[in-house]
Amino acid sequence: MGESMQDRRIWEHPVLSWDRGTPLSISYDGRSVTAYPNETVAAALYAAGVLAFTRSSYLHRPRGPFCMIGKCSQCMMRVDGVPHVRTCILPVEDGMVIESEDPHDSEYPTPARELRVERQELSYDLAIIGAGPAGLSAALAAAPSGMRIAVLDQSPYPGGQLVKQTHKFFGTKESFAGTRGVDIARNLISMLKEHPNVELHTTTQVIGYYPPEGVLIAARAEGVDKYKLMYIRAGRYLVATGAMERTLAFPGNDLPGVMGAGAAQTLMNVFGIKPADDVLIIGAGNVGVIVAYQARQAGINVRAVIDILPKTAAYLVHAAKIRRLRIPIFLEHTIKGAYGDGAVESAVIYQVDRSFRPIEGTEKELKVDGVWMAVGLSPSVELLNKMGARIKFVPELGGYVPYRTKYMETSVRGVYVAGDASGIEEASTAMMEGRIAGLSAAISAGRGTDAMAEERRKAIEWLDLFRESPDYRRIKEGVSKVLIQEAA
Amino acid sequence: MSEVEGTIGIEAGIVTLEDLRREGRLPPPEVLERGVALPIIDCLEDIPCTPCRDVCPTGAITMKTMINRPEINWDACTGCTLCAQACPGLAINIVNYHFGRRSLRRPGYEEYALVMLPYELTPIPKRGEVVRVFDRAGRQLGEAEVFSVMKSPKFGTVMVGVLVPQSIAFEVKGVEVKRRWPGRRGGAP
Repeated sequence: MGESMQDRRIWEHPVLSWDRGTPLSISYDGRSVTAYPNETVAAALYAAGVLAFTRSSYLHRPRGPFCMIGKCSQCMMRVDGVPHVRTCILPVEDGMVIESEDPHDSEYPTPARELRVERQELSYDLAIIGAGPAGLSAALAAAPSGMRIAVLDQSPYPGGQLVKQTHKFFGTKESFAGTRGVDIARNLISMLKEHPNVELHTTTQVIGYYPPEGVLIAARAEGVDKYKLMYIRAGRYLVATGAMERTLAFPGNDLPGVMGAGAAQTLMNVFGIKPADDVLIIGAGNVGVIVAYQARQAGINVRAVIDILPKTAAYLVHAAKIRRLRIPIFLEHTIKGAYGDGAVESAVIYQVDRSFRPIEGTEKELKVDGVWMAVGLSPSVELLNKMGARIKFVPELGGYVPYRTKYMETSVRGVYVAGDASGIEEASTAMMEGRIAGLSAAISAGRGTDAMAEERRKAIEWLDLFRESPDYRRIKEGVSKVLIQEAA
Repeated sequence: MSEVEGTIGIEAGIVTLEDLRREGRLPPPEVLERGVALPIIDCLEDIPCTPCRDVCPTGAITMKTMINRPEINWDACTGCTLCAQACPGLAINIVNYHFGRRSLRRPGYEEYALVMLPYELTPIPKRGEVVRVFDRAGRQLGEAEVFSVMKSPKFGTVMVGVLVPQSIAFEVKGVEVKRRWPGRRGGAP
């Protein structure tokens, strides 16, 4: 088990299409696997029915990808002799040799050959870490200042989570309301390309920051065994590193087929690959119900969306969209366990009482080959922490978040934050925060104009009003706990 | 009528006609008599979202501020359908209540309404095809003929127009093609 042999690619979709190009061939544990040029190794393997990518260290339990965005490590394999490669962010190349690893085989695995590493010294006026909605908007807002800007992202493709959203966004004209997330990403990227002072570096992972000089080190992968080590000195830094999906503790939560909702979105919507045929989604907030709808668009049968709370936290219209499609939402339900031999084959859910204790006799078994978790996100603040930014645990914002001014400057002068890294909210507000942070970076460097100051004033005003709406008052409260006075 | 699987109620995403009536979202009889198409806006929460208001050419949809829910002025609405095509939440359908009697003029269809629904799934229904129609809870209300299929490049959302008896005109909220589900082997569920 742990594999199914059919091709999982999607060829018909109401919103998306995939320009796949000419197929190429990679080898996986000795067998030949078809891949397409725009795919990552993990995507191509998943399309070929490979579900188990690695094994746990002690019990050797099979593990599959959880995040699909280079954060979780559960997709690590040996590629062309290089061990421990995150295959979910590695673009495929014809003839690549992929081998599954058992981390137990050797404690310190060594590459089959020398890695080629070239060191570069670089300087910019502004370095932005993360090319999602916040990072791209920040770059776009700061670009007219003429500052030399670098945007770094570990993914092979820019756009962050925007590229996975098939639905039109809420909000106003200022936040591109009415445009699908995937199209917003495309627009932002094409607008950015008109600015020759902005460099966009994909497959570039920030691996360190060294105070006091403030050197940021990033590794730009050019193939599996060739890296450019970028030593970056920037006048200003803007951290837009996004968030990490949370998991939930239950028996079988590590079975291949159990993944974050975002991982499922990546497979479905970025690569056009079905992560499963029948799925249980845990969490009926916006992410859960939106992913359920996207699953139906991808031809996947959603058996149930469950939530432990007595009311969905999702926008009513998003939840309503799936109910009229006969996708059930079971409130006050949770998962008892996921079961299967090597991969998910079924899941059992049950009802809970007001103290979240299971109610006897309410168990339901669902035949599913996918369990997707939409149980919240945690801001990715590791880099900010390393940079010395003051951090505080704020439940309303999803976890540890940095203190910031209304201009999105952290407690470290010249270090800005925007998007989910500053608190879990949504793409529309991430874009607005990015705009504010990008403009502020330019203004504080003396490169701003009156028009930019006015644009920033409007963006702050928009954000304040947005957070007056009932669903965001919590966010507003959270932000007030980490708001610091801006420097003069 | 089929049973609803899952939790019932607005807390679980199921809006009822009663909810809509309470919010003034169902057109009064004298408005229906005008014989134009009218939007039924299933947007009952204060959320920061404005495309329906922004796209309305006559100002029939208003909001106190961008974070409030839409309000409709029936007298100003011309039934242009733009709001239904623009709504990011696919929450607006268009009901032309007296379509059978006033416009269609097909014998036996005097008591039929034309209901246009935003649709972002595959396969796209074809004109003349018989599809299943569903209410807000996903209960099948019956089958209906597809009278029109429209997709404007500006909005990119397909509007599927179905002919249904007036008695269920305000209940219909979803359509499903009777052919197999997209990408699923072995026929409809």
